[in-house]
Amino acid sequence: MLSNILAAGLAIGAVYALIGVAYNVMFTASRVMSFTAGQLGMLGGVLGALFINRLGIPAIIGFPLALAGCALVGVVTEIVAVRPVLGSLEKHLYVLSTLAFALMIQQFTAIEWSTEPQPFPRLFGIGNGGVTDEKFWLPVIACAVAVVGLELLYRRTLIGHAFLAIAEDNFAARALGLPERNLRMLGFALAGVVGGLAGFSSGELLLAFFANGALLNFYGFVPVALGGLGNNRGAVIGGLALGLFQQAANFIVGGVFSSVAVFVVFIVVLLAAPQGLFGAPPARRV
Amino acid sequence: MTLALTRRRFTRGGLALGLASGTIARPAVAASEPIRVGWLAALTGPSSTPAIGFDRGVRYAVAQINAAGGVKGRMIELVTRDTQGDPTKAVNATQEMISREKVHAIWGPTNSGESLAVTPIMARFKMPNIHPCVVDSLIDPVKYPNAFRMAPSNGQWDDAVRNYCLNIVKATKVAVVGDTTGYGTSAVGASVAAFKKDGANVVYQAQIDATQPDVMPDMLRMKNGGAQAIVVWSVSASMEARLFDARATLNWDVPFVGHPAMGTGEIKGLVAKPENWEKVYIIGYKSCSFDASGKLPARTQAFVDSIQGKIELADTSLWWVVSGVDAINLVTKAVAETGSSEAADIIGYWNTLKDYPGLFGDFTYTPQQHNGYPTSEVVMSKANSSRMGAFELAPGYNS
Repeated sequence: MLSNILAAGLAIGAVYALIGVAYNVMFTASRVMSFTAGQLGMLGGVLGALFINRLGIPAIIGFPLALAGCALVGVVTEIVAVRPVLGSLEKHLYVLSTLAFALMIQQFTAIEWSTEPQPFPRLFGIGNGGVTDEKFWLPVIACAVAVVGLELLYRRTLIGHAFLAIAEDNFAARALGLPERNLRMLGFALAGVVGGLAGFSSGELLLAFFANGALLNFYGFVPVALGGLGNNRGAVIGGLALGLFQQAANFIVGGVFSSVAVFVVFIVVLLAAPQGLFGAPPARRV
Repeated sequence: MTLALTRRRFTRGGLALGLASGTIARPAVAASEPIRVGWLAALTGPSSTPAIGFDRGVRYAVAQINAAGGVKGRMIELVTRDTQGDPTKAVNATQEMISREKVHAIWGPTNSGESLAVTPIMARFKMPNIHPCVVDSLIDPVKYPNAFRMAPSNGQWDDAVRNYCLNIVKATKVAVVGDTTGYGTSAVGASVAAFKKDGANVVYQAQIDATQPDVMPDMLRMKNGGAQAIVVWSVSASMEARLFDARATLNWDVPFVGHPAMGTGEIKGLVAKPENWEKVYIIGYKSCSFDASGKLPARTQAFVDSIQGKIELADTSLWWVVSGVDAINLVTKAVAETGSSEAADIIGYWNTLKDYPGLFGDFTYTPQQHNGYPTSEVVMSKANSSRMGAFELAPGYNS
């Protein structure tokens, strides 16, 4: 039982963490909470199954193609749902525009792909469904690679510093000559890759299913709230904790009640630490 | 006596002439007018798979009858409306069929959600209605004397599953699970109550979220409870495939028994290995099942032979196709036997049917009983044995 809680809990937790990171990357680039993060995850699985299973493309090519597709959707999100409302962030119009775009992605996928879950290809054929099966450890590896990669990008590269600069103060960054709009589009493409990675790596677990988007949108937001908005390390810790807690609750109280248990804990944590467990209280100029 | 043409006389005369011509002309029109059959079909949308199968049978039957000259010279005119599985669209289509299209009978809808919405409307207009929906409350000869069911009800499905578990598998401890939909919840509740009433020990009962990626916690509870059969009430192929894979991971050979969705072709692609789909038994029908020698019942086989190359069966269920044929035949038979397409005559004729030999089964209706499908026809089939839309009988029926 413990091994199953650890294997399945860490796997699904890693997926939630990656979706949380996708939320953060888009937020860092634009100060907008884009509710398309879960749909990017869903598309990672659907595009992977489309390229590899349906079109017969080898996995080694299908994988980057799926990520490229998700990156493209990320860019389109920025152009269609984010850029038009950036001028009035205080009105929170982005909630409506990104949710509407997310719904469009979901419905388009349902119509063009399938309304039923479709199989995702076995990538390496390792394991027989038990706790050592690849479907459990692939998302964990993908999460580790994504988080380390992002840390290196933000800390070791000029473009990463530019991302941080526009996140800190986009007016000042523009004044310094940074191409804010291009960086924002790049940020959304990066979020697309992270979300796509979440969906592709968990395809064997979640299958290629149009309704996964709404599920991931919902559960992927929890680590962001728990870990603090914009804090990737917090999102990873929050996501893994959420996955483990959810799987433990599945064993202890049963599947239907596990969602209730998750959200009870979520609300209690937010009551105790409204800025998230790893977020700093907002600074106020005096 | 004068014959002055006053305005009053002219009006009376005109009315009398109109009434007389209407009365005289009516039989002539009725004798030649087409028999309009409404067909409420969810041909697109997420629940379209059954309706597409039914539709093949419906169109085939209509074409055959019309090609043979119709029913006493009256052609059949099919009035099809795509309801998309949406009760609101089904209500609109029903009203249009009754008020504008003036149909003589309606076949469908083919899912219970739509049927729950339109059945009271059809009852208000006394519209002869025949449908294959399983929800028990849809048939009530007092409230809905116009509505007839030509497929098993939920209760009949439940009886067949319980009978198989208790009398053929000889399971005394069962687990009953379903998805979190309204159907899953109500079906599990009814099934558990019936098992307990029959003295079985229900060791585990649960609703499983169809999107739950790992069902191992539920499977372990069932195994630890000592379940000798797992009854599943769900239309979610992904959830069912996950249950089968989890059983294989546990090296457990407990049989799954239940909903026909466990036999859909999608399962084949969703299970990790084909053998994980073994020992899964779904609700099926004798008329559409292969016996031990691989043969269909003679009546069904003759039909399948006659439609070779005309109707595709590989991607659908045979019972959907033959039900479509039976539905049209039941309407036309009523018109042929009574010589009338009046609603009261069609309903009256259906109420007298006893062992009417349809392709799907022998239908029997009385004014007090509109569940016309015989329970004895409901059997269990091997889920992974689909061929030409039909299944092999599950172990225990062949002996």
